[in-house]
Amino acid sequence: MKSRFHITFVLMFLIAFDISTITYASPVRKKLAVEAGRIITIAGKEIKNGVILIEDGTIKAVGTDVGIPWDAFVIEAKDKVVMPGFVIAHTSDGLDRANENMPEVPFISTFDSIDPISTFFKDSLRDGVVAMLVLPGNNTLLGGTGTIVKPYGRTVEAMLIKRYTGLKISLRPSRNTSRMGHMQRFRRYVSDLKDYLEEYEQRKADAKEEKKPFDEEIDVTKQSMVDLMNKKLTAFIYCDRAADVPKAIEIQKTHELNTVLVLGPDCYKAAGLIAKSKLPVILDSELIIWETNEQTNEEEMKVIPMIFHKAGVKFAFQTDTSQYGRRYLWYQVATVVKYGMKREEALKSITLYPAQFIGVDNRLGSIETGKEATLIFLTGDPLDAQSWVDQVMIAGEIVYERAKDERLKKLLEPPLVIQEPKDTD
Amino acid sequence: MRIYVILLTFLLLVSAFVAPGRAEVTAVKAGRILTISGEPITDGVILIEDGKIVEIGTGIEIPEDAVVIDAGKSVVMPGLVDASAAAPVRGDLNEQSSEITPTFRISDALDPQSKALKRVVQTGVTTLFVSPGRQNVIGGLGVVVKPAGKIPQQMIVKDEAALRIVMDLDSTQGNRIPRREPAINFYYRRPGIRMAIIWMLRKSFFDAQQQADSEQTEDPNMAILSATLKDEIPIHVNARRAIVIRAALKVADEYGLKLILQECTEGYKVAGQLAEGKIPVVLGPFYYYPGNMGQYREGRKVNWNNAGILAEAGVKVALSSGGQSGAIDILTAATFAVRHGMDRDESLKAITITPAEILGVADRVGSLEKGKDADIVVLSGDPLNVTTCIEKVILNGKTVY
Repeated sequence: MKSRFHITFVLMFLIAFDISTITYASPVRKKLAVEAGRIITIAGKEIKNGVILIEDGTIKAVGTDVGIPWDAFVIEAKDKVVMPGFVIAHTSDGLDRANENMPEVPFISTFDSIDPISTFFKDSLRDGVVAMLVLPGNNTLLGGTGTIVKPYGRTVEAMLIKRYTGLKISLRPSRNTSRMGHMQRFRRYVSDLKDYLEEYEQRKADAKEEKKPFDEEIDVTKQSMVDLMNKKLTAFIYCDRAADVPKAIEIQKTHELNTVLVLGPDCYKAAGLIAKSKLPVILDSELIIWETNEQTNEEEMKVIPMIFHKAGVKFAFQTDTSQYGRRYLWYQVATVVKYGMKREEALKSITLYPAQFIGVDNRLGSIETGKEATLIFLTGDPLDAQSWVDQVMIAGEIVYERAKDERLKKLLEPPLVIQEPKDTD
Repeated sequence: MRIYVILLTFLLLVSAFVAPGRAEVTAVKAGRILTISGEPITDGVILIEDGKIVEIGTGIEIPEDAVVIDAGKSVVMPGLVDASAAAPVRGDLNEQSSEITPTFRISDALDPQSKALKRVVQTGVTTLFVSPGRQNVIGGLGVVVKPAGKIPQQMIVKDEAALRIVMDLDSTQGNRIPRREPAINFYYRRPGIRMAIIWMLRKSFFDAQQQADSEQTEDPNMAILSATLKDEIPIHVNARRAIVIRAALKVADEYGLKLILQECTEGYKVAGQLAEGKIPVVLGPFYYYPGNMGQYREGRKVNWNNAGILAEAGVKVALSSGGQSGAIDILTAATFAVRHGMDRDESLKAITITPAEILGVADRVGSLEKGKDADIVVLSGDPLNVTTCIEKVILNGKTVY
């Protein structure tokens, strides 16, 4: 009797274990094949009626002559356009507060401030964004380090792609300071840092000489700046006006930093200088500005990305939440295509280039063998205003379906009709 | 020498006689003409004389001396009509000394050299309605203008086109009793709350009715309000929230006023009522999150398909820039309206003929028809595509962009 009970127990345990493994394994399928009507690979030419083979969330093969294995789960998307998900290389949305009050806080991180339930992330996913570098805002001299997240997940930990990426430096003077004081503050910080490092090295050398154990670590409040100087972090330098650009380039040159320039609309005047420096650029979401000629009082339209494109600068776009158009990355690309940029090149500025700028181009930014299967399924051409993102796949897992998007339904469908009481008198 | 002088005089005389006699004919050839009023025309020609369309269709003979604008395969559509545009005026649009200023005319303040006009032309807009600011309960008289002409008189299409009334809380902005000062003060102004706005409106119309009955010497303010009571001047009411719209409908019902609603952010909630009352709406400005903009706190509950729902219910819908110079242009507004569920043809009408009808200028603008003004936009492709650019804008038969 006792032994029988034992066996039943073991059997039950085994069955339970088996079921649990099955239920946990099902969301990510091992082998997937996407049959797409049109594949915009970004890396190479467009493919019509192609197949993307995915194994363990990684792209194994792309092309028209790819055989589908018998055990692969097939996703039919013959009426869809498939392309890599969009990447935002710089944003300060989705934070509970973007700026710290103190000017020199390189040690803080957006990881602590990202609000996973912010509608920014949900809306971004709906618009086809799969990764974004969230950096501190533009008001702080040494703003802190950034976090790369995907706009999917209930906690920051679940959303995380890469922590501790990029350090924000803003050259726009904060309140009550002049540009002179602002730059001076930066230089003093760097020279203090160098003094500190020298003393640190001295202490280390002294300890070695005296054969004492040396266990002093670098000051945590200075660690990120040290990493910046050692090229372990990339500097995202915000230039508000064109006059800030030469200073940013000077900082980059003197300290030999990995640098990405984050530009305000006015910076198009320094396009030539930026082109010469060969630094990558993130443009402001305001793509078209009107400038008044002081002599004639006539206004002239400036299409900022076209000025950079003609100068030969590699750039990426970012979004803001104020207007319909600027909220969407595809709209920004459509705008530059309207003014004469080539489609293929323009599409890179929301996929491959931002992925390169934030150092995730080994995983994201194009559809290539070996990259992560992070794809978006569109109902039509990406630059057509009537196309919608139908599905989003992150690493082989479908994380967004338009048919199940309740918020979108609320935004588009009429509310329940409430019967108006008629006046009876 | 003398021969030269005689010859020169002769030439001058000839030119002086010939030039005005021969009206210049312009012909626009295009791959596709969207007339809006009728079916689209493929490979058509538009003949323009004296700034008016004299002929439109296929197989039209082009006179030999005509100036031909060959738009090739481009798409041609009527100049757009913005039923609530940023005013081409320098300085403030809000009178601070009084809340009820029906006699104020924005046509007196127009600036033909305004930069806003040049911008607006480049977005394809050739007719716009401008009105006083939004911080007075009754702001004054608006005017329909074209962005052409060196003096205001040349710009005006229709003066006293509508009376502007604001029922949103904007008209209470800044109205407070100054601290430590008596309430009898220049700065102490009503209204402060929504009830007060509606009270002021009611009182104004009540006074106008009284005055009309008593036949005493007419106050010019009251004269204009009386004209609106007699449906001689239409009323544009700014109302965003459903409760404000309902209040506006109630006041209109009491005094028998004909309304045109502006903004109408929550119009989708009262679509049935608006359709029943045959009340046209002018939507805009359009923001992704209206709540983000300080002064747009009132229209927080957006429905992206506001335009589509209203149009479906049978309401006359016009899309506009909402009087904001920074807002998206109305062609983009139409593009997004279609994205969010509005009918394609309906959305094109909502930026051309419908606003023209609402403003009462449909006999001159809003569609490409014989006898109408030659306001034409030449586009590189489908108007509802973001990658399409505006190639040319023809205003009164003259190329302005």
